[in-house]
Amino acid sequence: MSKKPWDKGIVKVMFSEEEIAVRVKELGEEITRDFKDVEEDIVVVCLLKGSVIFMSDLCRTIKLPLVMDFMTISSYGNEFVSTKEVQIKKDLDESIMGKHVIVVEDIVDSGNTLKTVLKMLGNRGPKTVSLCTLLNKPSRREVEVEVQYVGFEIPDEFVLGYGLDYMQEYRNIPYVGVMGDLSKLED
Amino acid sequence: MKYSVEVMITKEEIAEKVSELGARINEKYKDSKELVLIALLRGSVIFMADLARELKLKNIRLDFMTVSSYGSSMTSSRDVKIKKDIEDSIRDKDVIIVEDLIDTGFTLSKVVEILKIRKPKSLSICTLLDKPARREADVKVEFSGFTIPDEFIVGYGIDYAEKHRELPYIGKVIIEKE
Repeated sequence: MSKKPWDKGIVKVMFSEEEIAVRVKELGEEITRDFKDVEEDIVVVCLLKGSVIFMSDLCRTIKLPLVMDFMTISSYGNEFVSTKEVQIKKDLDESIMGKHVIVVEDIVDSGNTLKTVLKMLGNRGPKTVSLCTLLNKPSRREVEVEVQYVGFEIPDEFVLGYGLDYMQEYRNIPYVGVMGDLSKLED
Repeated sequence: MKYSVEVMITKEEIAEKVSELGARINEKYKDSKELVLIALLRGSVIFMADLARELKLKNIRLDFMTVSSYGSSMTSSRDVKIKKDIEDSIRDKDVIIVEDLIDTGFTLSKVVEILKIRKPKSLSICTLLDKPARREADVKVEFSGFTIPDEFIVGYGIDYAEKHRELPYIGKVIIEKE
C-alpha cells in the first residue's frame, strides 16, 4: 500500500487515527463512570514500551484524578512452556496498597506474561486491579485473563503502530496497521 | 494547601505547537538513518507520545529513562542517579531528549553528559515548556515549544505531588488564601 519511507511494509490500516480516538474516548468515559465514586486513589499502570501511546491518550480522556506509573517487564521461557518467568526490569515508583489499579496494555495475545504481572500486582494489596487493553486477540489466548476494558477485538494478524513495534520501530505510526510479508522488507 | 487549576495553554494550542515542533524535526532529520527519542519518565511521556506521532521519518525508536537528582537544592553540586536506563545503544545514532519542562536545567545537563559519553551521532533537546528565568545550568535547547514565566504549572504530564498529569491542557496552579 504505502510507498512512504516511514511506514514501509505496512499493507493495510486496521484502525485509523480517527477510529482509535473515538474508541479511546469511549473507554475513558466508561472508566470515568466506573470509578467516579471511589474514595481511594486511582493508579494507571503503563507497561513500557508498547502501551505508552495508548496510555497517554487514555489518561487524558478519564475525567478523574489519576496517578500514572510505569513498569518494564521482560519474560523468559520458550514457546513450549506456557508458564513464563517474568522479571521486573523497572518497577513502579509508588505503592499501590489500598488503591485502585488500572493496568494499561497495548495488546493481549497469549496472556502469559500479563497474567503473571497481574498476580504480582495483586499481591501488593491493591483495592482492585483491572485491565484495559487497546487490542485483544482472543484466538491466541493460552491462559485465562480477565479483561475489563477492550478497545478492539482483532484477528491473529501482525499489527503495529500506535505503540506496537516491529524490531523496536513503527511505534510512532499514528494508526494501527498490518505488516505485510517481512521477507520483502528492504534494509 | 487549597488551590485551584486554571487553564494556561489549551489542548488545541499544545496540539498546534507539537505539530510545529514535529515539522521542524522532520526537516532537520530528513536524512537521518536512525533517530531515537528519549523521554524522561514520568513527566515527558504524554508530550513524547504526541510528538512521536508527528514524525514522518523512517527508523524511529522510542526509549525511556528515569533519573533522580539528589543533594540539597541549596547546593549547586547536585548529582544525578539513573534509576532506569534506556534499553538500547545510541552509539552513532541521532538522539533527541524529549522533555516536558526545563527550569534549572541541572538534571538535564547531567543527562546530556551521561548520554554524550555513549557517542551518539548527534544529541539535541526538545522541550515543550521552557522557563529560562530559572536556568542555572547551561543547556542548549534546540527545539522549544513555549517560553513561560516562572509559574506553578500542572497537566499534560506535569504533576504536583503526583497529581494532575492527566489533564489534557497546561494549567496554572492558583493557591487560595485561607
